[in-house]
Amino acid sequence: MTDTSSPSDANVTVRTRLDRIPTSATRAWLAGAVLLILPEVGALIQFAASALPLGETAVAAADRIPVLLSRERIPNQGTLVPGEGWQGTFLGLSPARAWGLRVGLIYLYGALCLYWIWRGYLLYRNRYRTASWTPFDDVVSRFRGHRWGQFGLLVVLAFLILAVFAPALGPTTLEQNAIDPYSYELDYYDDDTGDIETITVGAANTDTTSQGIEGRNVGPLTYDQYDRFHPFGTLPSGQDLFTQVALGARVSLFIGLLAITISGVVATSLALISAYYGGLVDLAIVLVSDATQSLPQLLVVILLSVVLSQTWLAGLYSGGVLLALIFALTGWPSLWRAVRGPALQVSERTWVDAADSYGLAPKTTMRRHILPYIVGYLMVYASMSLGGIIIGVSGLSFLGLGISSPTPEWGRLVDVGQPLLTTMSWHIAVLPGTLIVIVVTGFNALGDGVRDAIDAETDLSSEEETSAAASGAGG
Amino acid sequence: MNRLIYLFRRLLMSIPVVWLGVTATFLIIRVGPLNPAAAIVGPVNSAQAQERLDRIEEQLGLNDPIHIQYGEYLVDLVTFDLGQSWVLYPGQDTVALLAQFGPRTIWLGLWAVLIPIFIGIPLGIYAGLNVNTNRDYLASITGIVWRAMPNFWLAVILLALLSRTDALFFGSGWESFIIKTDLIGAPDLSALGTPEGFIIATKQILPAAFVLGSASMGNELRLSRTAVLEIINEDFIDTARAVGVSRWRLIGKHVLRNALIPLIPVVTSEAYLLVGGSVLVEVVFGINGIGTLFFDAMTSGDLPLAGSLMFVFILLTVSINIAQDLLYTLIDPRIGYAERR
Repeated sequence: MTDTSSPSDANVTVRTRLDRIPTSATRAWLAGAVLLILPEVGALIQFAASALPLGETAVAAADRIPVLLSRERIPNQGTLVPGEGWQGTFLGLSPARAWGLRVGLIYLYGALCLYWIWRGYLLYRNRYRTASWTPFDDVVSRFRGHRWGQFGLLVVLAFLILAVFAPALGPTTLEQNAIDPYSYELDYYDDDTGDIETITVGAANTDTTSQGIEGRNVGPLTYDQYDRFHPFGTLPSGQDLFTQVALGARVSLFIGLLAITISGVVATSLALISAYYGGLVDLAIVLVSDATQSLPQLLVVILLSVVLSQTWLAGLYSGGVLLALIFALTGWPSLWRAVRGPALQVSERTWVDAADSYGLAPKTTMRRHILPYIVGYLMVYASMSLGGIIIGVSGLSFLGLGISSPTPEWGRLVDVGQPLLTTMSWHIAVLPGTLIVIVVTGFNALGDGVRDAIDAETDLSSEEETSAAASGAGG
Repeated sequence: MNRLIYLFRRLLMSIPVVWLGVTATFLIIRVGPLNPAAAIVGPVNSAQAQERLDRIEEQLGLNDPIHIQYGEYLVDLVTFDLGQSWVLYPGQDTVALLAQFGPRTIWLGLWAVLIPIFIGIPLGIYAGLNVNTNRDYLASITGIVWRAMPNFWLAVILLALLSRTDALFFGSGWESFIIKTDLIGAPDLSALGTPEGFIIATKQILPAAFVLGSASMGNELRLSRTAVLEIINEDFIDTARAVGVSRWRLIGKHVLRNALIPLIPVVTSEAYLLVGGSVLVEVVFGINGIGTLFFDAMTSGDLPLAGSLMFVFILLTVSINIAQDLLYTLIDPRIGYAERR
C-alpha cells in the first residue's frame, strides 16, 4: 500500500497513471521554469564553483558565464562628466536609478520565481495528486484569509531574496568594499583639473567616511564626492553600508536556517520517540532537555563560542557554521517542548494502536502516523525561534563574539555605529537595527499565521510557549 | 501535605537536571579544546610564563586523570567551594565576587520584572477590553514590534534618545530630572534605605530595566489581552452584567481576577529569560553586575570563574522553575500534583 496509488485502482501502476494525465499544462510550466532559471544559470554555476573545491580554473571559467541580473549587466558605478551626463552606468542613468532598477528587477525576478513555484504546486494539486482533498488544502485556504500572516510571509520572502541575491543587490562588492579596496580603481571627474581622474577605492573610502561631523558624513540616499551612490550611507570607515547589510542578511539567514533545521530534526525525532515509547524514555529526554534549558542560552553560546574559537570549526564561514551548531545544540529543547504535546496527543489515538497491531515497525508508525500531525506545529515554532536566533546572533556579534570580520553582520554594524548614534551619522546603527526588528516581526507574524491556519478551532499549545520561543536567546 | 510531597518530588527531579547541567559545563571547560590554564596565562613565550602555566595547571588539578578532576569538581560544587578568579580579579574568591556584583544584577532584574507587569499587563487588559478597535490594534502592534526588538539595539537607541532629552522631562533632561544621575554606570545600592538613595538607585536602573523587560512586556501584553478576551466571553460575565453589576466592578472583580491567573506563572518564566539577557544590557549600560562579570571572565580567559558562575546560573534557573511549578499548584489547584513535566 503506497501513497501513490489509491485503493480503487490499486492495479494501475504509477507509470500508466501518469501517462493518462494531459501534459500540455505541465510542459508549459516546465518551459516557464527553464526560462526563469536561464538568466541566472551563470550565477548558480559560479556559486557552486566557489563553494565546491574545484580549483581556480573552474571558478574562472564559471565567472565567464553571463548572468542577466548582475552588476556587470546593469552597472551603477559611473562618472558624472559635466555637459555629457553619466558615463559608464546602465543606459547613462544616474547611479541611484541604475541601482534602483537593478534592485527592482531582482525583486521582480524573485517574485516571479516564487509565483512559478506556487503555480507548480497548484498544477501538482490539480493534476497529479490522487486525493482530491487533503487537510493541507484547508491550511492553505485559511492562510489565504490571514492578512497578518501574509504580511509576515511577505517580509520573510523579501528577506530571503535580499539574502540570496545579496552580492548583486549591493551598489558595490564586498571584495571592493572591505576586503581588498586598494586593488580596485574608480574614475571620477575632478573639478579642479577639469579631467577624469583615477583613484583606488581604498583611497576614495578614506574621503567618504561617516564620522558624525559636517563634511565627514555620507547619509542615506546620497552621493559621495566620487559619484558613488550610497542607499544606506557609509560606515565610519567610508565603506558602503548597504553592501554590508545585504551580505549580513545572508549570514543571518544561513545561521538561522542551519540551526533551526538541525534543532528541528533533533526535536522532532525526540518528540516522536518520547511520544511513542513514553515512560522512562520520555523521562530521560525530559531530564536532558531540562538540563539543557537550565543553562541560560545566551551564556552557553558565549561560553562555547569562546572555547571553540580556536578550532577549525570556527573558521568555516567566519564562524557562522559554529554559531549555527551552538544555537542548534542549545535551542532544540524549546522546539521539542512545543511538538511533544501534540505528538503525545496523537500517539494516544486509535490509529496508532491500529498501526501497531497491524505489525508496522515503530519507525514506520512514527513517521507515517504521528509525524504528519506535528509538522505544522514544528513550522510555527521554527518560524518564531528563527527570529530569536537572528536576534541572538546579532547580539553576539554586537558583543564582538559572533561572526568575525570581514564577513558583515548586522549586530556588528550596530556596534560600529553606536558611538555615532547621537550625531548626524545616526544611520549606521539605526538602519541595520530597524531591519532586524522588521525581519523578526515578519518571522513572528508568519508563525502566528501558520498557527492560526493549521487549526482555527483547537488551541493545542498555549500561547505561553509560543512567546517563550519567540523571545529566543533574549539577545 | 500533598504539596510538600510534590515539592519534594520536584526537588528530587531537579537533582539530575543540575547534575547534567554542571557536567556539560565541566566538559566544555575541562575537556574542550581551550586549556583553562593556557587561557589564564596567555601566550607562553618565556620560561617564566611556562613555569606559571605549570603552576596553575598544578593548582587547578589539570594534570590529574579526567575522572579525578571530575570528582573533585563535583565535590567542590556540592560544598559550594566555587574557587577563585584568576585573570579578572586575581585571587579573589568567587563567592565574594558574587556578593559584590550580585546585588546590582538582582536590582536590575527586580525592576525588569516589575516594569513589564505595570506597563504590559494594563496595556494588554486595555486592548482586550477594547477589542478590535484602533486602540487595540495600536497596543497589539506595539507589543508585537516591542517583542521583536533586540535588547542590545533597544538599549543603544534608548541611550541615544535619553542623552538628547534636554527639552523633555520638564525642561531638565533625563540626567538631571528629579535627581542628578549619570546615564551609564552602576547604581549605588549602599544608601538604598534612605529615600534619596532609593530614588537615585531606581532612576539609575530604570532605562536598563526597561530594556531588559521589553521582551516580557510584549509577551505580557499579548497574553493579558488574550486572557481578558477569553474571560469576557464566559457565561458568568453575562450573568453578572444581566444582574446589574457596574462596569468597573465587573472588570475589577470578575474579569481581572480570572484573567490574571494564567499570567502569574508567565511572569516567573520571564524572570528566567532575564538571567541570560542581562549580559547584553549590563554591558551596554555599563552596569558591573554578574552578567558583565561573566562576559569579562569569558573574554579575558578566566574560565574557572566563568564555570563557577555558570553553576550559579544553573541553580538559579532550576529554582525559578521549581518556584513556577509550585505557583501553578497554588493558583490553580486543578492542575494538581500529577505529572507536570
